[in-house]
Parts: sequence; C-alpha cells; structure tokens
Amino acid sequence: MSLLERGPNAPQAWFGELPVSNRYTYGLAGERFFRTIKEEGRITGTYCQKCDHTYVPAVQFCEKCLGELSDWVDVDAVGELHTFTLLYEAYGGARLDKPEIVAFVVFGDGGLIHRLREVDPDDIYFGMPVEAVFKPKEQRVGSILDIAYFRLVG
Amino acid sequence: MTVKIKSFPGTSLSEEDFEQGKILYNYDELNGKFAWDNGIAIGRYLASLKEGVILGARCTTCRKIVVPPRIVCEWCFRPMHEYVPLQDTGTVNTFSLCYVTWDMRRVKDPEIPAVIEIDGASPLHGIMHLLGEVDPQKVHIGMRVNAVWRAAEDRSGAITDILYFKPLEEV
Repeated sequence: MSLLERGPNAPQAWFGELPVSNRYTYGLAGERFFRTIKEEGRITGTYCQKCDHTYVPAVQFCEKCLGELSDWVDVDAVGELHTFTLLYEAYGGARLDKPEIVAFVVFGDGGLIHRLREVDPDDIYFGMPVEAVFKPKEQRVGSILDIAYFRLVG
Repeated sequence: MTVKIKSFPGTSLSEEDFEQGKILYNYDELNGKFAWDNGIAIGRYLASLKEGVILGARCTTCRKIVVPPRIVCEWCFRPMHEYVPLQDTGTVNTFSLCYVTWDMRRVKDPEIPAVIEIDGASPLHGIMHLLGEVDPQKVHIGMRVNAVWRAAEDRSGAITDILYFKPLEEV
C-alpha cells in the first residue's frame, strides 16, 4: 500500500452540519408598523416635517436629517403600482405555469414590495391603483405576509 | 458592566418578551451542511481509529514520528516514509479545566481537554482529547494516561471513537 493512496476503508470526507437559528426583531418603528398591520390591518408610515418626507414602512429616524420621527401617519388605502416583474420560477427553482407577479407599490414617499394577484399580467400598467388584501385577523402573526397580496382597486 | 459603562444604550429584550408575545419577530433556521475532505493521511487515521489503533507517520530523514499522520514531512518537506501504528497510551502535555461547555452552559464538573503526547510518537507530538475518570484537581502535566475506546461495534471512524483518556495509575 502506497503512502499516497487513500485507504480502501478510509472515509473520504467528514460530513457535518452547522445549524443556525435566528430571531429577527423589527426594531422600535418596525415593531409598531407590524403590530398595526397585525392588530388593525393598516399600513402606517412616519412623517418628517422638516424634510416633508413620508417613510413607508415607518422608520424611527429620518434618513435625510437623521432627526427622530414621532409623527405616525396612516397611508392611503390605495397605492400606486410603480414597477413589477413576472416570476416563472418558484422558490425551489421549479417552473411555474402561471407566473407570480411581484410588484413595488408606492405609499407616501416609500412603498412595499409584495405579490400582485387577481389580475391578468397583460392588464397591468404602471401607475395602476392597487390595494392590500389582508389575511383574516386570527391568521395574522405580525409579518409582511399578513398582507396576503395586492389587487387592482374596484 | 464595567466601571465606566453602567448600562448599554438601546432596548434590551428578555426571553420572556419573546415567549409571551410582547415582541414581534421572525424566526428562521439555516442549516449549513458541509463535507470536509479528509485527505489521504487523515482518512487512514480515521479508518484505523475504527480498528482501535492510533496511527502515526514516520519520516526516516528527520527521524520523526508524527501524529496524526500526514503525507508530507513538515520539517524536510519530503514525503513521509510509512504509516506506523502507535500505542493508545501517552503523557499529558497540557490541559485545561473547562467549566463552560461548547454551547456556553455552565457545568459543575469541568470538561478536561488536554494535549496528550502519544507513546510511540516523537516527544512533544500528540493529539488533543478529553480526560475522564479523574479528579480534576489531581490532573497534572506529565500524568500517564491511556485511551478508553468506544465499543468496537459503535465506532464510526471518528476521533470520538476514543471516548476519553484516563490515568494509567491511581493518582
């Protein structure tokens, strides 16, 4: 047996796992933002008077003047579709026959990225008015997926 | 906390805040699976542990026997000459009494990791393992120990096929 040969019974590799679990907390403003979604089914933002800027989702500090924000505002129920993409591939990489539509919906001076449903991809246009469809209150857990999807208004 | 720092800024959270639903959070689990190639020498080392033998390698140029074995001599950079089975006895080179486990639990009875110079290998050549069946206060450098092996049918070709090293004589 040569010194440079692998042993016939030698294990080729050492196999292991690194399990990592994490808890992501949303922070002071995020906590209130998601709690309002969970308990009241409303989307909220924070307003900076100095910069005349409405942050959606709500943030604790203004990104322009770094001032602390305490002016919480409700956004309009109807948002504006800013941009969208058609996804033909599922999370695991499987092919989808019917595309999932992911859209950026503008609220205030910010907005949310979310699913768009109940609409034919051919009928979508930029600036389309869309509204959030919330899950039933008992199913809401305080996550962005408490909004089931967005749909065309009317 | 230190003399200067009495408290950290920010909002601290306790385990109860999570359990009682006082705080919203997103829980996720990742699993990093890996395969680490043993290489030639360590592959043989693990295979021989399964047989109940600690394997070393000899460089006849440097007149050294190293453990674990490798295929290239670290001193002369020539290929090693042969694998050699070593004894499963040795001498404690250094040790530590460890009152915190790897996942940061405090324990009353310490774990005792130690570097053990294996008999048959050159002086100062050894492996790191645990000591067992010993009073922590009586462990000392130079203590003679021997390996306690896992039952042959339970061995998997891993360093844990040796459960721990225990003192050869009463201390």
